[in-house]
Amino acid sequence: MTDDELDQRLRERLLSEEVDTSRVAAAVRSRIRQRRDIPRWAAVSVIAAGILLLALLWPRTPQVCVAAAQDHEREIVNGEPRRWLSDVSEIDSLAEKEGVPVSAIAALATTGYHLERGRLCFLNKQIFLHLVYTRSGGQYSVYLRPLTPDAAFTSSVQGTEKLAYFQTRRVTAVIVSRGANAQAFARAGLHSLTAVAL
Amino acid sequence: MPHLAALLRVARRLTLDSASAEDLVQETMLLAWRGFPGFQTGTNARAWLFRILFNAFHGANRKARLETPPAEESVRPMLQEAMEIAEALDALSVEQRTVLLLAVVEGFSCQEIAGILDVPIGTVMSRLSRARQELRKSLKPLAKEAYR
Repeated sequence: MTDDELDQRLRERLLSEEVDTSRVAAAVRSRIRQRRDIPRWAAVSVIAAGILLLALLWPRTPQVCVAAAQDHEREIVNGEPRRWLSDVSEIDSLAEKEGVPVSAIAALATTGYHLERGRLCFLNKQIFLHLVYTRSGGQYSVYLRPLTPDAAFTSSVQGTEKLAYFQTRRVTAVIVSRGANAQAFARAGLHSLTAVAL
Repeated sequence: MPHLAALLRVARRLTLDSASAEDLVQETMLLAWRGFPGFQTGTNARAWLFRILFNAFHGANRKARLETPPAEESVRPMLQEAMEIAEALDALSVEQRTVLLLAVVEGFSCQEIAGILDVPIGTVMSRLSRARQELRKSLKPLAKEAYR
């Protein structure tokens, strides 16, 4: 028997054997699915836990600050026609009436800015004194009210570039700027108010 | 799943047991799935799978040898009149059976077999030659019977 004949017999014999791969294929698919499922399940759990943690720890902007930003957009940027007070003494007496320390008004004017106008407004059902400080090419709003306990407000400046808020021993303040300086205005304001013991 | 039948056919001859063969192929496919990112596109996927199969087979064999006391050297079963070619093949040593299966049944070249088994090509050729001699010897009585 030659090599070729031997090979031929062997090949024919073995290739004629029935090979049922269905059981192995099913087992392999099932094991691959199991291995895939575990990491997917784990990944989903980790993501869900992360979102929950983020939601719990993420500093939430107080509703009153959101209302202040909307008010600034409506009243200052869009220029809704309202009755504003531009006389400083009138603004001072309005502040006094609302329990806002008058000295705070001057202290909140950042270098180069001056008080342009003021009026009372409602933010989230609370009365605030809305002050607008201006210089050529820029302005920002300060919403002030006598200190009211609110866990969201702290003695350090919080917020974003366009919206910042803080509280001192005497006042609660929200600062809104159309530019990106709200935090800088707030830090300067907090520093000034602290300096005059407010 | 590609090449599954070929893998199972060879695994059966390696393990000489259907259930163990299925386990071995299952293990092979899972190892291949896990190691697929390391597979170089354009190379011989079939040879790659067989290489995994033989590595898994030798790994399992090594483990089995450690776990069970070495058996006394088995006496090659005497060929019976009704012995088939497959049985003659199974009577060969694993090394000889392996190269014969890969070369004759699965159609791999000696070079490819050397790559799959990680042995020199000369070793493949000598094993193949010896395997054919042994097989021929085992089949001779059958041939004589057939012509009687």
